[in-house]
Amino acid sequence: MSSFRRVFTSSVGTKLLIGLTGLALFAYLILHLAGNLLIFFGQETFNEYSHKLISNPLVVPVEIGLLLIFLLHVYKAIINWMGNQAARPVRYEKTEWAGHKSRKSVSSVTMIWTGLMTLLFVVVHLKQFRFGAWYEIGSPPIRDLYRTETELFTAPAWVAVYVLCVILVGFHLRHGISSAFQSIGADHPVYTKRLVVWGTAFAILIGGGFAIIPIWVYLTR
Amino acid sequence: MRITLKVWRQSGPAKAGTLVEYAADNVSADMSFLEMLDLVNEGLIARGEDPIAFDSDCREGICGACGFLIDGLPHGPVRGSTVCQLHMRSFSDGDTLVLEPWRAKAFPLVKDLVVDRSAFDRIIQAGGYTSINVGGARDANSILIGKDTVEQAMDSAACIACGACVAACKNASAALFTAAKITHLSLLPQGQVERYTRVVRMVDRHDDEGFGSCSNEGECEAVCPKEIPITNIARMNREYLKATLMRGR
Ligand code: FES
Repeated sequence: MSSFRRVFTSSVGTKLLIGLTGLALFAYLILHLAGNLLIFFGQETFNEYSHKLISNPLVVPVEIGLLLIFLLHVYKAIINWMGNQAARPVRYEKTEWAGHKSRKSVSSVTMIWTGLMTLLFVVVHLKQFRFGAWYEIGSPPIRDLYRTETELFTAPAWVAVYVLCVILVGFHLRHGISSAFQSIGADHPVYTKRLVVWGTAFAILIGGGFAIIPIWVYLTR
Repeated sequence: MRITLKVWRQSGPAKAGTLVEYAADNVSADMSFLEMLDLVNEGLIARGEDPIAFDSDCREGICGACGFLIDGLPHGPVRGSTVCQLHMRSFSDGDTLVLEPWRAKAFPLVKDLVVDRSAFDRIIQAGGYTSINVGGARDANSILIGKDTVEQAMDSAACIACGACVAACKNASAALFTAAKITHLSLLPQGQVERYTRVVRMVDRHDDEGFGSCSNEGECEAVCPKEIPITNIARMNREYLKATLMRGR
């Protein structure tokens, strides 16, 4: 029998890890979006929420955990993609999508690219917000994240970049959510069929939800 | 009917290959696709040329020997069918069809449309069996198995190991084949003894052969002549998880 190490490097084990980390990131995105939507309730509510979050002593360990999950997801996905490329060294002259029950979609064939774009986007996004312009407001002073955000989204170019990037994240989720459940072995005579539908619905909700915010800020400022 | 074929011709594994055009005249709509190729080959032999090499055996869709891509689809455009069970009535007079072999690192090309699928045999050797002491013939129903379980196991056992799943997969993964075999045996009482060592060994062998991993797209299911669903792959993943958690590997 093979060594324990192989559990995480085999084709099935690799996909299990990509699926599990992907689902964790999906859950995080829901929380992230819920928090972000508070911007609709105005400067005070939004800043209070962000202050509560960043003043919590647990936030740094959680952030580090999240970063590790994210990096593991990226690392495993890239290794996996390279292995899959190598599995067909000679390409077909002509290929067709099979259609029928196949879930192959623009989203499923672009996972590596939407994923890499997301990686790039996360770096820029962290730099602009987590480590972005630090303003203070009130007494005792708390971080005025509202101002950081509204200043950024007065520039139409940044609005466009953010909208485009979160739509790409939505595309990634469109295949990613249902695929992750399949990878971790979820299979049920009834629910498996619904998984794809729900996965798509969540992808639209998350992609669309995040896209609305910069547009709304731009239009109302 | 008159069909134009563009066939991948490659005289050997190390030789360069290319698509070569052939005209198939006087094709009857009732011919199977392989009978049509036989006709073309008879013409080639009569002219002293090398006939097109392709695999076939039963020609009734049960052995899994046949298979190549027709216009980019493994086993051609008809669902739930092998090329030997595909008839020329599925095409129109004047069609041009591209024929290509399965392409995967784990399926080295032998000649023309023939590839070496012994990687599948080695996956089976790794764990696709049950260890049973053979003695006198057992009474047929001495082990009772529920109807639903039997049906489900049979659906997976329907796999004829043709390799279309690998051919259709963008990652050249044999996940569906491997999962069908694992599912079949893990559902039945006879398969319980090696249940968890089996899944690990077969997956390891699958990887060592150079097949890719599953992206859960389900192209395999759509082209499978036996229409085996990718829920088998979910089960394989689950069995693998259980095996590694419970047995600690
Ligand atoms: S020749 Fe046996 S399945 Fe086609």
